[in-house]
Amino acid sequence: MMTNKTISFSLIGALAATMMYSAAYADKSNDTLNIAVDRELESIDNYYNTAREGIVISRMIWDGLLYRDPATNEYIPNLATSYKWVDSKTLQFDLRSDVSFHNGEKFDADDVVFTMNYLADPANGAKPARNVNWWTNAEKLGDYKVQLNLKTEFPAALEFLSGPVVMYPNEYYGKVGPEGMALNPVGTGPYMVTSVEPGKRYRFTKYDGYHSSSPKGRASIGKIVIRTIAESNTQLAELFSGGIDWIWKVKPDQAQRIQEQGNFTVKNSSTMRIGYLNFDASGRYGENPMNDVRVRKAIAHSINRDGIVQALVKGESIVVNSLCFPSQFGCTQDVPTYDYNPEKAKELLRDAGYPDGFEIPFLAYRNRDYAEAMISNLNAIGITTKFTYLKYAAFRDKVQDGDSPFNFGTWGSYSINDVSAITSHFQKGGKDDYSRDAEVMKNLNIGDTSVDLDVRKDAYKKALSRIADQVFMFPLWSYNTNYAFTKDLDFDPTPDEIPRFFTATWK
Amino acid sequence: MTNLPQTTSNNPYPAGKGRILQHKGMMIGSLIVIFVMLLAILAPLIAPHDPYYQDLLNRLKPPVWDTRGSWDHILGTDHLGRDYLSRLIYGARISLLIGIGAAMISGIIGTFLGVMAGYFGGRVDMVVTFLITVRLSMPVVLVALAVVAIVGGSLQVVIAVLGLLLWDRFAVVMRSSTLQIRSMDYITAARAVGCSTARILMTEIMPNVVNNLIVIATLEIAHAIILEAALSFLGLGVQPPLPSWGLMVSEGKDMMLFEPWLITIPGVALFALVLSINLLGDGMRDVTAPENRN
Repeated sequence: MMTNKTISFSLIGALAATMMYSAAYADKSNDTLNIAVDRELESIDNYYNTAREGIVISRMIWDGLLYRDPATNEYIPNLATSYKWVDSKTLQFDLRSDVSFHNGEKFDADDVVFTMNYLADPANGAKPARNVNWWTNAEKLGDYKVQLNLKTEFPAALEFLSGPVVMYPNEYYGKVGPEGMALNPVGTGPYMVTSVEPGKRYRFTKYDGYHSSSPKGRASIGKIVIRTIAESNTQLAELFSGGIDWIWKVKPDQAQRIQEQGNFTVKNSSTMRIGYLNFDASGRYGENPMNDVRVRKAIAHSINRDGIVQALVKGESIVVNSLCFPSQFGCTQDVPTYDYNPEKAKELLRDAGYPDGFEIPFLAYRNRDYAEAMISNLNAIGITTKFTYLKYAAFRDKVQDGDSPFNFGTWGSYSINDVSAITSHFQKGGKDDYSRDAEVMKNLNIGDTSVDLDVRKDAYKKALSRIADQVFMFPLWSYNTNYAFTKDLDFDPTPDEIPRFFTATWK
Repeated sequence: MTNLPQTTSNNPYPAGKGRILQHKGMMIGSLIVIFVMLLAILAPLIAPHDPYYQDLLNRLKPPVWDTRGSWDHILGTDHLGRDYLSRLIYGARISLLIGIGAAMISGIIGTFLGVMAGYFGGRVDMVVTFLITVRLSMPVVLVALAVVAIVGGSLQVVIAVLGLLLWDRFAVVMRSSTLQIRSMDYITAARAVGCSTARILMTEIMPNVVNNLIVIATLEIAHAIILEAALSFLGLGVQPPLPSWGLMVSEGKDMMLFEPWLITIPGVALFALVLSINLLGDGMRDVTAPENRN
């Protein structure tokens, strides 16, 4: 009888044998790192795609004025040499004079002014809008000095300027526009693009002219090829056969088995994404049990978050008690908490007038297994769910239309290390806000507009405590990403879920 | 005295017991279908565990034939620690319910349209033929996916959507069968003695097309089961925690390179059920076909 292992290897072999790959085999001998991603990019232009893979590639090709050190979360000048707040709505930057774009164009104040003013114009449709809609314009103060005028106080400005807002070459972009940039991207980053097959394959070569003063550091690996392979089992088969030597978003159980095989390095890193339960506290959906805080507290006590994290989410994930990721500015875990206590949950339900529980529609769009585990927890206290699992777009529309009294969602904050990227998104009266609580909104407004760090922290703490106390939303756990790659590679993942291939080296 | 030739039987159901027993395909198909139906009906008595009970500490336990397996869970446990055999048994209920439910809805629609078109002809036939053409031009899986994605998947939605999409074959076959029958002498005779249209349709036409109806129904049951599995596999069919076989394949997909039994077991069950229903349908067609009547 064939053993399970034999069957597995036969299957892997058969799959691998049927793979067609024209790319050269990846190994350190030809200094080429082959990477697989699961999503097709709509455009490689940083301002015309919103996929995470686009963010990863953007960090390779382009630089921002600043750079956030992923280890210390400190903002370090990159294309700028220094910056200062002139007032709460004005930022000034001194720029480097020794930087050139991949096409030889010199970097100077004109590039910054062009980029910032281009992005500030809504007619150009740069996306996501929240990345680029917080300043009025940029002014040239000298060849290597610029001033950025903000629309209003925006304390998260440095975070955006060190991440998604990157500088484009004014002459080149002015000539080729988004279409030209999508086919032949030009930046100042550590890798230059040598070929683009849209949605399929991108080839990169180390940029030898990269400015040595960059906090990103010069790239070590000579060539990188990023291929789109949508199906996770196909990615794994390619990894096993040597066609690919770096993959990510490996499922926890898969990662565990790959690690057990011992042929590849498996690393895990926490990400900024957190899971949450959102309740219709204010009655947007209509009258329903979620309007009652005792019911929301009962649900909070019924979910075995530790058990689900240990058995299913695994990795570096942790239970979170506050509606934010712990590393984000303003995030505090010093808020009311709810332990796993089904008996207390039943008692709260009885107090709320639901001794026999109730039935409620429940939506989710990802991690069906986590949702099912929570449904089992809810069943244990008498709550039954009419569960609907939707694609993200349908889920988002239903939730934002006020058509969901209870749902399970996740939020990655666009890797913005600031509470405003999550708490304010969900609790400041927007489409996703089901509590519409005046006190929470007031405090979030203070936190979002003050440049005084202590004032911000205090305001966010008040808002987060109120959210937790009233269980307007119930934070579940942080997410993690598994990376699997060849043992020849030295690669360290970062919590912002943005792999930095320019820091990877061959062993 | 001259012997008169024996007349053929007037029995519209001429399939003899012997003929059925001699048809191996039909026998095998029947046995498997009956077995699955018994599993479905007796699921609460047969299933060794609660199919919904999660044991997160006992996830992905392999079946008993694997060295790591145990008799506690004969077919192992899934990614949430639920007993795989119990889910498979309860999954038979879902598959049969969807198959039979969808076939009944589509059978009623298709038979009504097909018989109307065949009997009345003319404009009625034109309209029905147009509807059939429109329906045939729509890709079933794509339309089902779109509808379920918009309104959300559930057992009822899947049955309704498949029922409303699979009536074309019923309509085509019923139309052509009725067309052949409507000019028969006994129909003319029924009209001549003043029978109402409704009576002619119910007592003269329907009994003579019912064999074809049953054959198509079996094929459509199998078709609906496969489509449900496809929708559930894509996450748009039956919603968890209901144990659908398609959903089980979908849930096991991520581990197919490491734990292939997760997809093999529900896959084989699906294959066996659909094959047996098709064998049964083919057998019924064979034993009721005119060439076998004499």
